[in-house]
Amino acid sequence: MKRCGFILLIMFAVMLSPAAAGRRTGESVLSVELTGAGASFPAPLITTMADEYREVTGGRVTVNYQSIGSGGGIRQFKEQTIMFGATEAYLSDADIVEIQTRTGGTAYTMVITLGSVAPAYHVPGVPSGITFTGELLADMFLGRITNWNDPRLKAVNPGITFPNLPVQIAHRSDGSGTTNVWTDYLSKISAEWRGRIGFGTSVNWPIGIGANGNEGVAGVIMSSPGSLGYLSLVYATLNDIPYGAVINASGNAILPDLASTTAAADMNLPEDTRVSITDTESPNGFPVSSFAWIMIYEHLDQNRAISTRSEAEELIRFLYWCITDGQKLSEPLDFAPLPDAAVSRAAAMLRSLTWKGEIIGSSVIDSM
Amino acid sequence: MTLKTRYLRDRIVVSLLASMTALVVIPLCVIIAYVGINGIGALSWDFFTEELGSPARAMQGRPTGLAHSIVGTLIIDSLAVCMAAPVGIGTGILLSEFPDHPVNPILRVLTSTLNGMPAVLMGMLAFSLVVKPMGRFSALAGSFALALVMLPIIARAVEGVLNITPWSIREAGLALGLPRWRVTLSMVLPAAKRGVVTGVLIAFARAAGEAAPLLFTSFGNNYMNTNILKPMDTLPQRLYSLAISPYRQWHSMGWAAGIVLMIIVLASFAAARLLSRESAGLHIKSDRSKKPESNKEV
Repeated sequence: MKRCGFILLIMFAVMLSPAAAGRRTGESVLSVELTGAGASFPAPLITTMADEYREVTGGRVTVNYQSIGSGGGIRQFKEQTIMFGATEAYLSDADIVEIQTRTGGTAYTMVITLGSVAPAYHVPGVPSGITFTGELLADMFLGRITNWNDPRLKAVNPGITFPNLPVQIAHRSDGSGTTNVWTDYLSKISAEWRGRIGFGTSVNWPIGIGANGNEGVAGVIMSSPGSLGYLSLVYATLNDIPYGAVINASGNAILPDLASTTAAADMNLPEDTRVSITDTESPNGFPVSSFAWIMIYEHLDQNRAISTRSEAEELIRFLYWCITDGQKLSEPLDFAPLPDAAVSRAAAMLRSLTWKGEIIGSSVIDSM
Repeated sequence: MTLKTRYLRDRIVVSLLASMTALVVIPLCVIIAYVGINGIGALSWDFFTEELGSPARAMQGRPTGLAHSIVGTLIIDSLAVCMAAPVGIGTGILLSEFPDHPVNPILRVLTSTLNGMPAVLMGMLAFSLVVKPMGRFSALAGSFALALVMLPIIARAVEGVLNITPWSIREAGLALGLPRWRVTLSMVLPAAKRGVVTGVLIAFARAAGEAAPLLFTSFGNNYMNTNILKPMDTLPQRLYSLAISPYRQWHSMGWAAGIVLMIIVLASFAAARLLSRESAGLHIKSDRSKKPESNKEV
């Protein structure tokens, strides 16, 4: 019995000693921990920015971003368990109205980066570079085109010899921003898709195999010949999965890459930057591209995850750094840098952030 | 039936049993070997001393590791044991030592239900009971979720081991005029100590591998944190997020995380076995010096 008690005592000691030590550092005025979560697509960029920012501030500010998916990000943002959220599907009008009635202020969706969703496939003997049109993709995902040797595919790709192989569709089974971008594009292209399936973070797929996450879809594509799916570009490039070009609204066949992704955002942005850039008008833009947004409450004090004014100020500093200096980190990581117009829209949002009725955004940014 | 056929039959049955045992053990060995082969390459000094940071670190070959996940796992799991063990052992004692207690039928249904529940539900419960009122994710919430996973396992193990403790021990205590609680605490529990500790460790090992209840409770962290009121990283959860990332370097770190997790679980089993055997030995010895006739019962 005595020994049992002794073991318990050791366990308590183990548990309490680091906890006590942690509390001491947590209370010190100097170090701040900011918590965010959401979309998996911008996660590599945001965590790298966080890592770099930690060095810039000499370890004073630690930003903990966890990738839990766009749906999870929006949910936790509304639950107020995180200081900022990230999403590939912007907040709906209903969400914003709900937040306005609850907090008295709006929720900003501030652009942080942009990315493309690539049609990725596994056709034996065919490398990257099949050209698709929006109509072809819609018909393949609707189950209209069932074989890779379909004459309509051949007509767009005269140089490629397609095998006689059934098309197998792979799609996401979880709620995902990538799905939102993909189905948003198909809805703009095909009236039938818009009417029957629609768009969103998860939809009722007419055909195909569902897989969890980008990596799940990548796994299905790699293991089953004849498969066609959609992936965040970085998953296709890093795993050497062939992907195709898509003919955009101007009639140009565009492969997804950094330049064509940034070009897709070459348009008049609305004030709140809640805008879909799929099927872009821009002649060199890749048509299946999207912004990724950071979500923040206009009245920072209304977010229960933020407890002090200094946390709010550090959050503003970090986010401002992300859309300015932090953008330099984009290209080495295969992320498209934000166009200038988007940066100024985002900065305007940060400048109008308030704490207990006082606008603190401008003064914080000017003092940087 | 001749003696020869009897021997033959005996041998056949024994070899059948041996091959069945092998069937159980082989998959375990294959898993251990597979995880080992895939992960050993990523195990380096940095792995145990550095924080994860960002994928850029791994891709550019800068030092990165899972020191924070290992520390976080140890803190969250020990905290969960501290929460679950007293309640679980108490439940086990009530079920076994006070079989006629009116709450027992309900308690039995409740522990079975809790045991059959998917672990992710424990996470949801911890989210609404701890995370929401606190307004933030915390290691504490993760421990609470894991404690709920451990609770029914500990309760059932304790009940089981107390049930097989000889009645003569209780009779001896009661004959000396000890009250029932004294008999339970000072005689029955020490006699069943080994089984109780094993039960707690089985629960620990089961909970140590859970990722689902931690996703929306302890949340995860890319950096070292030892404050239990803030988000903390754990090996199973980090393993999952490394595995679903697009980066090859992170995939191999995920395998390495699997090795470390396996070692923590195996080591805790081994330590418990050793500890309980040692103390059981001491117990018998001290008993023998005082009351030689009682060692049969122990």
